[in-house]
Amino acid sequence: MLSSLATGNWNFATAAHLLNRAAFGGTPAEIEAARGKGLAKVVRELVDASAATIPPAPAWAQPRNIREIRMAIREEKNEGDGRNEKRREFRQMEGENILDLRRWWLNQMMTTSAPLVEKMTLFWHGHFATSVEKVRDGYWMWRQNDLFRRHALGNFAALTKEISRDPAMMIYLDLQQSRKEHPNENWARELMELFTVGIGNYSEADIRESARAFTGYRIDMTTQQFRFAPRQADVGPKTFMGKTGPLLGDDIIGILMKQPACAQFLARKLWRFFAEDDPSPQIVEAVAARLREHNFEMRPVLSEIFSSKEFYSDAAMRTQIKSPVQYLIQTTKLLATDPPAAPVAQNAMRQMGQILFAPPNVKGWDGGKAWVSTSTLLFRYNFANYLINGDAMRPNADPAKQKGGDLGFRRGPAFVNVPPRDPIDVSKVIPTELRTKPAELVAHLSTRLFQAPVPDKEREAFLQYLKAREPDTGDATMRGLLHLMMSTPQFQLA
Amino acid sequence: MDTSLHTRRQFLRTSMLGAAASWTLPVFLEKTFFALDAVAADAATQAVTGKDGTILVVLQMAGGNDGLNMVVPFADDAYYKARPKLGIPADKILKLDSYAGLNPNLTGLKSLFDEGHLSVIQGVGYPNPNRSHFRSTEIWQTASDADRNENEGWLGKYFDNCCAGADPTVGVAIGDQMPQAFVARTPTGVTFSRPEQFRWIPSEKRNGPMSAEETFFRQLNGATDDDAAPPTTNDGGSIAAIPGSTRANQSAVDFLQRTALDAQLSSDKILAIARKTKSTMPYPPGQLAASLSLIARMIAGGLPTRVYYASQGGFDTHAGQLGTHDRLMTDLNAALSAFVADLKEQGNFDRVLLMTFSEFGRRVAENANGGTDHGAAAPMFALGGAVKAGLFGKYPSLTELDHGDLKFNTDFRSIYGTILDRWLKAPSELVLGHKFSSLPIIG
Repeated sequence: MLSSLATGNWNFATAAHLLNRAAFGGTPAEIEAARGKGLAKVVRELVDASAATIPPAPAWAQPRNIREIRMAIREEKNEGDGRNEKRREFRQMEGENILDLRRWWLNQMMTTSAPLVEKMTLFWHGHFATSVEKVRDGYWMWRQNDLFRRHALGNFAALTKEISRDPAMMIYLDLQQSRKEHPNENWARELMELFTVGIGNYSEADIRESARAFTGYRIDMTTQQFRFAPRQADVGPKTFMGKTGPLLGDDIIGILMKQPACAQFLARKLWRFFAEDDPSPQIVEAVAARLREHNFEMRPVLSEIFSSKEFYSDAAMRTQIKSPVQYLIQTTKLLATDPPAAPVAQNAMRQMGQILFAPPNVKGWDGGKAWVSTSTLLFRYNFANYLINGDAMRPNADPAKQKGGDLGFRRGPAFVNVPPRDPIDVSKVIPTELRTKPAELVAHLSTRLFQAPVPDKEREAFLQYLKAREPDTGDATMRGLLHLMMSTPQFQLA
Repeated sequence: MDTSLHTRRQFLRTSMLGAAASWTLPVFLEKTFFALDAVAADAATQAVTGKDGTILVVLQMAGGNDGLNMVVPFADDAYYKARPKLGIPADKILKLDSYAGLNPNLTGLKSLFDEGHLSVIQGVGYPNPNRSHFRSTEIWQTASDADRNENEGWLGKYFDNCCAGADPTVGVAIGDQMPQAFVARTPTGVTFSRPEQFRWIPSEKRNGPMSAEETFFRQLNGATDDDAAPPTTNDGGSIAAIPGSTRANQSAVDFLQRTALDAQLSSDKILAIARKTKSTMPYPPGQLAASLSLIARMIAGGLPTRVYYASQGGFDTHAGQLGTHDRLMTDLNAALSAFVADLKEQGNFDRVLLMTFSEFGRRVAENANGGTDHGAAAPMFALGGAVKAGLFGKYPSLTELDHGDLKFNTDFRSIYGTILDRWLKAPSELVLGHKFSSLPIIG
C-alpha cells in the first residue's frame, strides 16, 4: 500500500518534483510558494480544479451539416471539370483548423490555472488515442479534447462510456459502421487490449460478444453528434467474461471495470505517466487498490498518489525524460518568454515525435526513453537555441530564402508570414548583479533550470565557459550560458 | 579489401582527426572508446558495418504508386478497356517480356534490366489489404499482419536483433523524420535532410576555431559518468560494468548521456564525410536525386551505414494522373540512373541493393477525374550489382479482382525476408517473426 510522505520531507526539491509532474514545472518563485503552503494544500489546489477552467471552444469549432457538405463535394466532382474547389476549400480549412486547435491547446496548457487538468487531458488523449489523420475533422477532435477535459479528474468508468459514444473515437476505431450482421471488432478489441484490461486478459470470444454489444452506435452526419440506431443494434443475449444477458455497450464497460486486471492496467499507466518508467508490481498493486477503493474516481486517487512517499522516491525524482509537450511548455516558462508561433511549434513537436491530435497509432505515445534518439536529442538542443536566440540563430535568417531543410522547424513559403522571433529578455531570467558573480550565477540558473544543484562536472564546465568569455558579461554570453545549460542530458529530465 | 576487425575507435580516430585537426582527442573521449569497444567485442560476431559489407537502400514511393502504369501489361486488352485515358500505348512501352514492360520514361531502368541488374517483382502485397495511407504505410514499415498494430519497424527489429555494438549510424534516413521502419527498442539510426543540419548549433555563429561554447558543449556531451566507466584495460573483464546496450536496463541519465555521445560522434563523422567527399557525378535536379546523391557520398566516404532510407513523394494521383505520374517516373528514372552511375564509378555498385516500395498500388479502372484511387497489389523493384535480373512473381489478373483491385501473389515480407537472409545475412525469421518463402532475386 502507499504510505504518506513525512512532513519533514516536504522541501524545495519535493515541491519542485510535484510541480514538474502534476503541472508543467514551476519557476523558483512558484516552487518556493508551494513549499511554503505545505504538501496538503498544494495537492488540494491541484486536484480541486473547478469547472471554471473549461475554456471556450475556438470560434470555428462548431458542428456542421457534414452530409450536405459531402454531397456538395460529390456533385462538384461529378461535374467532372476537375477543379474540385469545394473539396480543396474544405481540406484547407480542416488543415487550418487543426493547426489552430494545436495552438489553442498549447496556449491552454501554458496559461491555465489548473495545470493538473491539462496534464490529465493529455494523459487521456494518449490513453484513448485517436488521430486526426483518420478522423479528418477539427470539430470532432476539439469535442473529444473537451470531453477529456471535463472528465480529466472525474470518473474513469464514466469517461470510458462517454468515449464509446465520442464521434472521433468511433470513426478512428470504425465503431460507427459496425453492423448487426457483421459487427466490427476494431473498437471491441482495443477497448480491452488498450483501454481497460490489457492483453491476455480476455478471449477472442469476448471480443466477438463485445463487438455485438456495441452495434447500433452511429454518428448523425447532419449534426456531427452521436445517435443510437436501435434497428442496427444486436440486442440478443450475449456472454461476456462469464456474464450472460442482453448486454449492451455500457454493460460491457461495467463488467470490464470489475476485472482486477482493469485497475492494474490503469494503475500502471498512471504511475508511468506521473512517476516512474518502470514501476514495481507492488506499487502497481498499491495504486490499483486505491483505484478499486475509490471506484475509479481520479481526484482522490491522484490526491493519494501525490501525497505518497513512493511518489517522491529516488527512483522517481528527476528521472523522467520530458515529453515534447512538457519540454516546450516548461522551457518557455523557465525562459520567461512566449511560445513560438503556431506553425513553428507544430513543426518542432513533429520533429520531437509528439504531434497533438495525431498519436502515431492507437497505442498512443510510449514516452520515457522513446522520446530520445540522436536526432531528437540534437533537435531539442537546437530548438532551445531558437527559443533563446530567436531567428538570429538560423543559418539564413531570410525566410524567403529558406527552401527545404531548414533545421526542420521553420521553413518554406508557409512561414513567410510568421513574425520573426526576437532573442529573450535576459533580465527576466538573470538578475543583473549576478552577471559578474559566476559561481552564484551558475547556482541560480541551476536551481531555475534543473530545480536541483548539478553534478560537479557540469558545474565546472559552466564556470569555465564564463571564464573563457571574460570580461564579456553581456547578453550574448548570458544567452550562450543558458543554451549551454540546456544542451545537456540533465535538462531533458524533470 | 581489408578484412581485419575495424574497431569503432580506430575508425573514429582516423576520420575525426582528419576532420577537426584543430583539437586532439581529449582523455575523456579516449576512456569512452574503451566502453564502445568492449560492447563491440562482447558481440559474438564482428560488429555489423556497411563500411566493407553490403548496403541496403530502401526507397519509399509515398502516396500509393500506380504500379499498373509503371510495369504495364501492354498485351492485355483489359488494361486498355479499364483505362481509356490513362492507358499507355503498347508501342511506347519498354518491353520486358511478351506481356509486360516498363513505363516509357524508365529508360535507365530498362538498360539496367538488360544489363542484368534489375529485378521486377510483380503482384506484391499482403492479405487483407488496407487502403488507408497511414495504416498501410504502417503495415509495410512494421511488416505486421494487417490486423495487428505494431510499433517497431522491420529495420528497427533488424537493428535490435542483429546489430548489437554497431555504430549509431548503422541506419541513416534522409528526410525530416525518422521513418517508422527504423523504430527500435534501442533507438538506432540518424535522420537528417542535409548533413549541416545534423549538428549542434552554438548560440553565437562564428567561423574559424571552435567557440568556448562549443568546446564546453562537447565536454558536457562527451563523457559518461566516471562511476560507470570500465577499467582502463580492455581485456574483456567485468562486462557488467559496461552500460547495457538496450534502453531497458539503463537509467534515464545514462541513456541520455550515451545518446548524446552517439549524436556527437555521428554528427562529426557525417559532417567530415560530407566535407571530404564531393560528388563528381552529375545528378538531375529534385529532392529524390539530392537524397540519393547524399547517400552515394556517404557510401563513398566510408560511413559504416548498413541501411539507408530515402523517399519520393507525390504518388497519390487521384486526379489528372497522366502528367504527374509521367513526371514522377522521369524523376525516378533520372535519379536512379545517376545513383547507379555514381556507385559504379566508385566501384561500390556490387555491394549496394536498392529496393522500392509503396504503401499500395492503385485501382485498375481509372476514375472520373483522370486519375486512379487507392488500390492494393503493385510491383517492386530491386536493383544492384548483385541482383538477379528478371521478372518475378506473377502479373496479377486484371479481371479477377478484389473489390476492383489487383490481387497480390507475393507477400512483401518474402522480399524483406530474402533481403534479410541473403543480403544483410541476418536471420529473417528472428526479425520478422515468421519464415516467409524467399525469392531468387539475389545472385
